[in-house]
Amino acid sequence: MAHRQLAIGMDVGSTTVKATVVDADTKEILWSDYQRHHTKQPEYVLSMLEQIQASLGEDCSRIFLTGSGAGPLCAPTGGKFVQEVNAVSLAVEHLHPDVGSVIELGGQDAKIIVFREESREGGGKTATASMNDKCASGTGATIDKCLVKVGAPPDMVTSLHFDDSKLHHVAAKCGVFAETDIVNLIKSGIPANEVLCSLADAIVLQNLSVLTRGSTLKHRVLLLGGPNTYLPFLQECWRLRIPQTWNERGYQYPTHVPIEQLIFVPENSQYYAAFGAVLYGLHEPEPIGRLAPLDSLHEYIEHGRKARLAETAGPALTSSVEELADFKQQYAIPKFEPVQFAPGEVVRGVIGLDGGSTSSKAVLVDYDTGRLLAKAYQLSKGNPIQDAKELLLKIRDAVEGVRDDRALDPSRENPRLEVMGFGATGYAADVLEKCVHSDVNIVETVAHMISAVHYFGSVDVVCDIGGQDIKVLFIKNGDIANFRLSNSCSAGNGTLLQATAEQFGVAITDFSDAAFRAELAPKFSYGCAVFLDTDRVNFQKEGYSKEEMLAGLAQVLPKNVWQYVVQIPRLASLGRVFVLQGGTQYNLAAVKAQVDYIRSRVPDAEVYVHPHTGEAGAIGAAMETLRVVKRRGRSTFIGIEPAIHLEYGTTNDASTVCHFCENHCKRTFIDTKAPDGSTSRYIAGFSCEKGTVESKEAMVAIVEERKQIARAYPNLVDYEARRAFMHVYDTKPMPEEGTPTNDFEIRRGLLGQRRVAITRPMRRSSSEAWAARRRVRVGIPRVLNMYSTAPFFRAYFEALGIPKTNVVFSDETTEELWVKGGKYGSIDPCFPSKVAQAHVHNLLFEHHSEKRTLQYVFFPILTHVRSWIEDTVDNTSCPIVAGSPNVIKAAFTKEVDFFQQRGIEYLSPALSFVEPSLLARKMFETFESRLHITEDENDFACREAWKALDAFDEDLQVKGQAILETVEAEDRVAIVLLGRPYHSDPGLNHGIPDEFQLLGYPILSIRSIPRSRTFLDQYYKRDVEAGVMRSPLALGSMWPENFSANSAQKVWAAGFASRHPNVVVLDLSSFKCGHDAPTYGLVDSIIGASKTPYAALHDIDANKPGGSIKIRVKTYAHALKLHEERLQDARKKRGELVRAVDRKRLELLELREQQRQAQADRNPIIDAEIAELRARVRSYEGPSDGLGEHNDDRGKLIQLRRKSADGPPILEVSRHAAE
Amino acid sequence: MIDVDGELRVFEKQERERLGLDSTFVPWVEDMANKTFSKKERTKITILVAGLTMAHDMFVQGALRGIGYHVQALDCPDTASLRVGKEFGNRGQCNPTYFTVGNLVKYLCALRDERGMSSSEIVEKYVFLTAGACGPCRFGMYVTEYRKALRDSGFDGFRVILFQQTGGLSQALGEDSGLEMNPTFFWALVKAIIAGDVLNALGYRIRPYEVNAGDTDRAIGRCREIVYGALEARTNIVWALRRCKGELGRVRVNRIQAKPKVSIIGEFWAMTTEGDGNYQLQRFLEGEGAEVDVQLVTAWLLYMLWEARHDTQQRVHLRVADHAKSSLGAMGPFGVTKKLLGVQAADTAVRMIFQTFAQACGLSGYPLPNMDEIAQVSHQYYDNNVRGGEGHMEVGKLIMNVLHSKAHMTVSVKPFGCMPSAGVSDGVQSALSEKLPGAIFCPVETSGDGRVNFYSRIQMYLFKAKQAASSELEEACRTHGVTVAQVRDVLASDSGRSNALYKADHRYAGTAADVVADVAPLLTRSRAQRWIEHVRGLAVRSRRAVEVSPQSVVERVRSVSAGVPMIVERARVDALIIRDTWRARKRTSPEAIDSAAQ
Repeated sequence: MAHRQLAIGMDVGSTTVKATVVDADTKEILWSDYQRHHTKQPEYVLSMLEQIQASLGEDCSRIFLTGSGAGPLCAPTGGKFVQEVNAVSLAVEHLHPDVGSVIELGGQDAKIIVFREESREGGGKTATASMNDKCASGTGATIDKCLVKVGAPPDMVTSLHFDDSKLHHVAAKCGVFAETDIVNLIKSGIPANEVLCSLADAIVLQNLSVLTRGSTLKHRVLLLGGPNTYLPFLQECWRLRIPQTWNERGYQYPTHVPIEQLIFVPENSQYYAAFGAVLYGLHEPEPIGRLAPLDSLHEYIEHGRKARLAETAGPALTSSVEELADFKQQYAIPKFEPVQFAPGEVVRGVIGLDGGSTSSKAVLVDYDTGRLLAKAYQLSKGNPIQDAKELLLKIRDAVEGVRDDRALDPSRENPRLEVMGFGATGYAADVLEKCVHSDVNIVETVAHMISAVHYFGSVDVVCDIGGQDIKVLFIKNGDIANFRLSNSCSAGNGTLLQATAEQFGVAITDFSDAAFRAELAPKFSYGCAVFLDTDRVNFQKEGYSKEEMLAGLAQVLPKNVWQYVVQIPRLASLGRVFVLQGGTQYNLAAVKAQVDYIRSRVPDAEVYVHPHTGEAGAIGAAMETLRVVKRRGRSTFIGIEPAIHLEYGTTNDASTVCHFCENHCKRTFIDTKAPDGSTSRYIAGFSCEKGTVESKEAMVAIVEERKQIARAYPNLVDYEARRAFMHVYDTKPMPEEGTPTNDFEIRRGLLGQRRVAITRPMRRSSSEAWAARRRVRVGIPRVLNMYSTAPFFRAYFEALGIPKTNVVFSDETTEELWVKGGKYGSIDPCFPSKVAQAHVHNLLFEHHSEKRTLQYVFFPILTHVRSWIEDTVDNTSCPIVAGSPNVIKAAFTKEVDFFQQRGIEYLSPALSFVEPSLLARKMFETFESRLHITEDENDFACREAWKALDAFDEDLQVKGQAILETVEAEDRVAIVLLGRPYHSDPGLNHGIPDEFQLLGYPILSIRSIPRSRTFLDQYYKRDVEAGVMRSPLALGSMWPENFSANSAQKVWAAGFASRHPNVVVLDLSSFKCGHDAPTYGLVDSIIGASKTPYAALHDIDANKPGGSIKIRVKTYAHALKLHEERLQDARKKRGELVRAVDRKRLELLELREQQRQAQADRNPIIDAEIAELRARVRSYEGPSDGLGEHNDDRGKLIQLRRKSADGPPILEVSRHAAE
Repeated sequence: MIDVDGELRVFEKQERERLGLDSTFVPWVEDMANKTFSKKERTKITILVAGLTMAHDMFVQGALRGIGYHVQALDCPDTASLRVGKEFGNRGQCNPTYFTVGNLVKYLCALRDERGMSSSEIVEKYVFLTAGACGPCRFGMYVTEYRKALRDSGFDGFRVILFQQTGGLSQALGEDSGLEMNPTFFWALVKAIIAGDVLNALGYRIRPYEVNAGDTDRAIGRCREIVYGALEARTNIVWALRRCKGELGRVRVNRIQAKPKVSIIGEFWAMTTEGDGNYQLQRFLEGEGAEVDVQLVTAWLLYMLWEARHDTQQRVHLRVADHAKSSLGAMGPFGVTKKLLGVQAADTAVRMIFQTFAQACGLSGYPLPNMDEIAQVSHQYYDNNVRGGEGHMEVGKLIMNVLHSKAHMTVSVKPFGCMPSAGVSDGVQSALSEKLPGAIFCPVETSGDGRVNFYSRIQMYLFKAKQAASSELEEACRTHGVTVAQVRDVLASDSGRSNALYKADHRYAGTAADVVADVAPLLTRSRAQRWIEHVRGLAVRSRRAVEVSPQSVVERVRSVSAGVPMIVERARVDALIIRDTWRARKRTSPEAIDSAAQ
């Protein structure tokens, strides 16, 4: 018998090792096995090799490894590494020659392979593969985590069928987002099966839209990987969604074949990669892949791994036992000893409650001394009222003793709790305010600040790390001067530490002891939780122990806080006194890493850990309650017993679904009934304000109220967004044929040329051409810089005779629009540019029909846009914005030309708005033959278009000036939105400006800031005269590299806000915005110099981060309120100064008069002045002259008016703004 | 007598303080911009340079030392630079920003923390010199980022000096500037860049085929010393390159290996750097058995010249001149011609210098890219007016690689966050690759910490490229009727063709297949047959030339004669322009103004 040649294929994945032994000649699989490796990959590989050698002898001479964990094992086994996709492709080609695509969901990777028949002779198949980058979700790990969160039993998961009738929003773009959404759905009471189907749908759509990179999957589709194999509802979801994309894209597939055969899961697919590795490896010449003696793998397990790790790892958390002991002595949080009360004692206190997302806490604080008397902790059960009731019970029992005990010993006289007030913070605060009439409902940030200041006095920085959020507050003069919050994306929070510890089987309470034992620590990349998790898997593969991993994780925490969330590298600039609080501070390893990090950057820093670190928020709420109740002299709280016995019921069914918009939010009604019989209803789970009402009448009332607010506090951002696409300018009629026209003629020489002014007759196109243009419809996507240039294009087309209804803009950005049309792109840039595909889709699929055809989709490349900044080095658009029309064209012509299919021509000329002549020429080149226009008509249309753009611009400035003058006169503030033009799009700004408008702050857009010299001189004159800047519209002194027009305008607007006392800043920036990134530091510096209140949301994306927006809005509103108070105080003080100076002058004059009298030298002029001053000073003693007095009528409606020179404000602008 | 006003002023000041109305707002001003050093400081200032390949940085150091500056090239940016960049840079920057900014800050921190220099001493004694641009991508804002990072890392006031890429041969930094950006300065830079390009191109051409591992690197190392010496001493660079040719020619090679040729394109910095910025991509590919075709810095110079020419030609026919950055409004009547001629001259000069250096060093058969063709083939997919990064070149080069069989595989490197590359080209290339049958195209993103995935992705495509290279070699052998062994035997006895500097004519993507096509006639034809074929070919070409010549001569004469009136008219216009210009000048001369005044 001939000697067999056997080859081993080993697939070392993130959780399992799979091995096959293949006969090299017949390709027959002779042996296979599958083991979970529990992060001991080398050990399991060794054990499998030993088994193989035991059962198949020495015939196995070669080994090929694949999988994400195979790399380090190649050298010790002698194996050759085979890239995973290559391995799977070869296996699939060998086993299923008729397969067109493969979708594999692995633990950390998701892959899609599409096979393409080569057109050339004998070309065979080519596999085009794409893998997720490390950021994308939709992988097995995400599914696993979400399954844990859902808590669904395994048999339910493996038997559930996909149902698309009740799907909820899950953001599958990122694993962290998906988890957050899943948790929220569960908390809202959505049944597990609906949650799982929603998750599957989100993952499938995410992979179909992103991972395919715009390609269409070819049939038959093979589903591989654990989730695809074991989750039938996921398979069914693929079977539903893939044919939908086929139908949408006109892809031909055999409809007579059952869908289970077109999209199928093969048997034993877990071995495909291992088998494919052998198929690949057999192409390699000997001795590549020669199996080494197993001793070398033994040796690697024993010694090699550690030695290799030491080269790349970082230092441990502590360098010596003594250092650790000192640290522990200094920072170990003393155990809280509840106060013991004497029998019969009446304990008077206020309760503070912090209803967090993962846990809730309550504290009892002494009414007279502010001393902490008792505290209680509760893991959140998803219902804030139940959590609050239980916490209050615990507090009461802590004082009065458990009721049951008292029942046992009725003779014992217990202490008695008298609750003087109740305050809440956190996500439970709103509902509690309504049902128990809390005295205080404050935002978490402010609560934490109050707590830190209470314990440590003059604090500079408070860093609170809770379960989900990181909050860093910068304190100046006992109040929040600024703050940073983690967005939903950032990691390093308590939950992550806990989850990781649990994955290693370490209780969170043992985290620090384990981490302190490590002698080295792997260097994690900071940033997102998904990245950290990827690192964790990689480090495990490299052989780090759990102790080392935990130490590494603790060390990455400060980087996440200070480098990712805070983004202020020079920590010393924040101050010296740092307070660490939040539940995570119980973890001493995390504290040690934080303290070391801060001290290495601020050598003289004082770093404190809050003594009641977990309850800091609750203590803050209690302290504020103390202040409020004492000041008011009474409490509104219904009392502890009624609160404990509050009856409530939750309803979450068809009757609670909100039907006031297309979202159809599944709301939860929480009805409470206090013992006194009063009832209240709290509504949760809605995504907009419409969801807060139950009846149509209430809805109408809300809409009316909103309208009134909008009238009173105009939102020019919203106004601008709508007006940019409206018909705002009536173009003049085209001059008649032969009308004398001024023009230039180029006289060209061999070397030189010159332009000569001439007058010649106007040339017009034929009447047939005019008639034909009446029928032309042009579609324009409502995206990007169209928000600042659309009036130009509308007027251009209208001037040429295209009816205004035939200039069609795509609909506004909404989630539905994005979901429908967001599957065509192959790249993942910022959302504003990505969403352009959905707008073009909207034009193609919604605005174009057989009856109402679009002839053109016009999406010009805007290389340069207009800017009013005078000293820019250029006025370019961002390259992504400029290039988007090319990307969109590629996306819609990649496999199928969607434009051609519909007889539409896609036009994307490159236009520069800073070169009017070139722009006109390009427009003519584009439309000459298409619209049959003459160049004279084109030029006239361009001139009219410029006028329309100017009119649009001037209108905004007029309204902006009116708002500014009014807020200045009334000591109020207006918020300027620092954003790019397209941040006016409500689908992009997520309605954040509207949130502030509803709080009573007028909103300005950058373009609405008046730019007349007279107006600006009020704020810039001093700097211009001092030579600090060339003119009010210059930027060079702040930013010389100002070539990006929109960025430059943003920085300029920040400069304006820093000078105008009544203007504050809301800075919005999209995730991945490359042109905004360099301005973050600049805006910080500019705003920082003036201490202007400033709020920033820098990573807004497709998903609306509701919670994150809410906390920012509330915190910022707190800062704005204080700012307005300061403005009012300043006015009062200025009045006081005037009066004091007058009095002093009178006093001095009288003195001098006395001196003169002594010298018999009277001066009648001074006498007159003294008389006048006396009269004025006397008037000060009477009733107030109104100087500095201001009634706070926040909540009432004010009319914004423009100040006129000789009378009361007259111009009412609010009506226009609201229209 | 009491001074009422004086007393009142004092009182008001006190009151203002008491009421807290005293604060005066001082607007934030960028005080680190546009700083240079004076002539007096020149002897004590060290100029730091970095940003290109290791050879380029070393040669720039030598060339600038040669013209009298103290210069120090920084090390190639590594992962530690990225970490420093991320710590001190703004969030959301692109990877090249983090790497390059981090690299400078890392170096300065090392001076402070390891060599014990104080921050003020460092700020006083060092400056950083780098290229600048006016956008539209973030490259133009790097200096904003440098300033922020330097300020935040404790080097407030550190000077970053820019020379504008498109600023011409003389750029003013002020009369007293210690750094003179004059033709001598730019000639030194051009010499360094082109010499670096030539040596790099040779290294990548020879290394994959070296017989003894490490021979090429050792030879390149010696060449770098020779060129560096010549630049520093300002001796003849061409002569130095000729010496390099001798060094490189001694490396023993075996070119009959079916190695896939992989063209690296992408974002300029990410495809150029040789460090962690692209995970040593070039070395990785060579290690995986590929031959690497890199893009030269010279091509970048040509792209900028193309931009200037294209932008001018696009505006030359406008009836009304505009007045923006690329407009021609500020130019005189002969300005356009002057600009176009200048750009053409610069283009020709760059190409001539490159080919001179290349020939001297033994880099034969290396045509520089045809910028017009790249622009033309890419325009319908990636508009030529969309700028930033490599602009349309990333798309154009991919098409050219396929059209002209320049490589088996194209890797397009996209640094994380790069706007033109990851945000535009990638989307266009994705659709384009569907339209280029047989193209092996691997777009890949460098995030700085995903080395394993990056390599894995490249391996995935490289597998196909290897297969393509092998089948191409087999195909070449079959077409030319030879075997690999026969070709190898011929090369063993042919010292010219087995020389490391030998380059067979380009017919296939792979080097080995080209060699087969070149060598095959030696095996399949006798010397006489080859001569006969050669003579026949010459005869055919001559006959064709003779056949078309009379017709072309006639056509040329016709077109010239038809154009005479137009030429005469244009010459007349020139004469009028000159006359009017002269008159206008005369009218505005000081003498004319004086006489008019009298």
